[in-house]
Amino acid sequence: MTRIVRIARESFRMARNNRLRAFIMILGIAVGVTSLTMIICVSQGVYKEVMDTVNRQGPDLLQVRPGSDKHTGLPSGSREVVSLIEEDVDAIRQHVGNIVAISPVKDRKEIEVKGGDNFTLTRVFGVAPMWDQIRDFGPHRGTFISEEDVSFAARVCLIGQTVKKNLFGEADPIGQTIQIKDVPFTVKGELVWKGISSAGRDRDDRIIIPITTYTKRLFRDVHLTQIVITVEDIDYLNKTVEDVSAVLRERHKLAPGEPDDFAMRTPQDLIDMAYGASRSLINLLTGIVGISLLVAGIVITNIMLASVSARKGEIGIRRALGARKNDILQQFMIECLFISLMGGVLGTILGYVGSIILSSMNVAASNVTPLAFVAAIITCSLIAVIFCIYPAKKAANQNPLDTLRA
Amino acid sequence: MIEIRDIEKTYTKASVATRVLHGITISVQRGEYVAIMGSSGTGKSTLMNIIGCLDKPTKGQYVLDGVDVLKLDDDALSALRNKKFGFVFQQFFLLERTTALENVLLPLIYTDKYPTGAIQLADKFLANVGLEDRREYFANELSGGQQQRVAIARALINNPDVILADEPTGNLDSQSTAEILEIFNRLHKEGRTIIVVTHDQAVAEHAQRILELKDGQIKG
Repeated sequence: MTRIVRIARESFRMARNNRLRAFIMILGIAVGVTSLTMIICVSQGVYKEVMDTVNRQGPDLLQVRPGSDKHTGLPSGSREVVSLIEEDVDAIRQHVGNIVAISPVKDRKEIEVKGGDNFTLTRVFGVAPMWDQIRDFGPHRGTFISEEDVSFAARVCLIGQTVKKNLFGEADPIGQTIQIKDVPFTVKGELVWKGISSAGRDRDDRIIIPITTYTKRLFRDVHLTQIVITVEDIDYLNKTVEDVSAVLRERHKLAPGEPDDFAMRTPQDLIDMAYGASRSLINLLTGIVGISLLVAGIVITNIMLASVSARKGEIGIRRALGARKNDILQQFMIECLFISLMGGVLGTILGYVGSIILSSMNVAASNVTPLAFVAAIITCSLIAVIFCIYPAKKAANQNPLDTLRA
Repeated sequence: MIEIRDIEKTYTKASVATRVLHGITISVQRGEYVAIMGSSGTGKSTLMNIIGCLDKPTKGQYVLDGVDVLKLDDDALSALRNKKFGFVFQQFFLLERTTALENVLLPLIYTDKYPTGAIQLADKFLANVGLEDRREYFANELSGGQQQRVAIARALINNPDVILADEPTGNLDSQSTAEILEIFNRLHKEGRTIIVVTHDQAVAEHAQRILELKDGQIKG
């Protein structure tokens, strides 16, 4: 058994001998580490949520919507604003580089649809053939809308999984005819499952038809709901945003200084938006972590200082029996580290429980990550070293004679 | 083995210097049993602490086994205390809430060569002082005499050259005193060097040689 192991065993024994002291120190640390763990779990959860959203939408996706609602991020408020038309799409396609695919989009909600013997209300989208690649929302079975479908304004459609279930149940919908606002359409495919969007909307409750069919046979809408663009090189995304903006401003004859009558949303905007919601919570937790760790440190210093004076006799005996100053220093440091780590483990457990509660109450997304445990261990070690070094040094520098007489 | 020459010790407290030892010269040979006698306040504990490397003299020379002790640094003195001396104090100085066995093992924590079978060794020394059935008792659960016997076992475990005992029977009844002195006699017969500091003539008489300390000087 090496010297340091023997000293460490004494540290554990002395910590065990004074359980109340150890318990108070553990508690002090645990409070700080609980908040630390929670902040890490919550930021990880939010980060994951944001990245899921971005990846679902595609990190190379650029959305252009009518109206200047960039800061609210809500498309619905802009519905009255009519600024984008199909000629804008052609102009962007012609004048802006770094674009893989571009599609105009028109849509209306709560459209009556009959099919089989059933009836449903759903959202109808008019799109171009590239749309499925841009949104990664293609057919699960059948084929997507083709160039011919667009040229001939063909009465064909693809139906989302919810629509399929509502109209046909388990039956095969492909080749069937459905009535959208009493206009007959042939189902040429069913869309892949997408689930619920971050805004809480059922993304499977939709029907996709060619954009030309949408305007010529169903609605007389001239204005677009949005334009979706996939950029080629994400690194030049900002340049592409500027180019698209310039083209649109020129076409819409906006004078310099006049605000945009359209809004663009990049994946970065999505990230900012999602973080915004959790930012105040994360800021609050960060403050709590800082304060509580500082308090824990001060508690440790105080208790250890009191402990050093109470244990003068012990220190003197050890010194008389041959302990070097460094041995005493190490004994107190290891004792502190040990207690601190116990507090860290307790705090991590409490923090995990806390963050699970937070996410189950829908206060914040959280992710129980081993990273929090690693951070807790490092933090506790640092606290032990920083806040114990002074009491431990004091213990080590006691004159053995004075401590024996005490 | 122990060569002390012209040792002086002056304590300065609140800028008042008090000279406790006035030039003391002692030499102790290996295997000797020496008593240092004197009434309280004659500096015998100070002398004991200097011999045990717990304190440093203000002036003088101290050579232990050919080593000039006064030139050693703190770490070297700690190692010396651990290796050369076994301490027995009037107040026993055992660790509370620590078993007799763990107390006996304490000096081995700070030794450079940790022996194999340390626990058996500690058990052997506990048995030597008749406490094998008390090994798991906490120090504070033992009587004064038993505590002092644990302290002696602790003093012996590192196989020191010198047993330094400072009023070892000062806190004990006559029965325990007799037991402790009996143990010292036995250790002396086994060839150990023993230095006892006491004010008690009866205790001192067990030693081969008595040095009387008076007013900070060795008498005679």
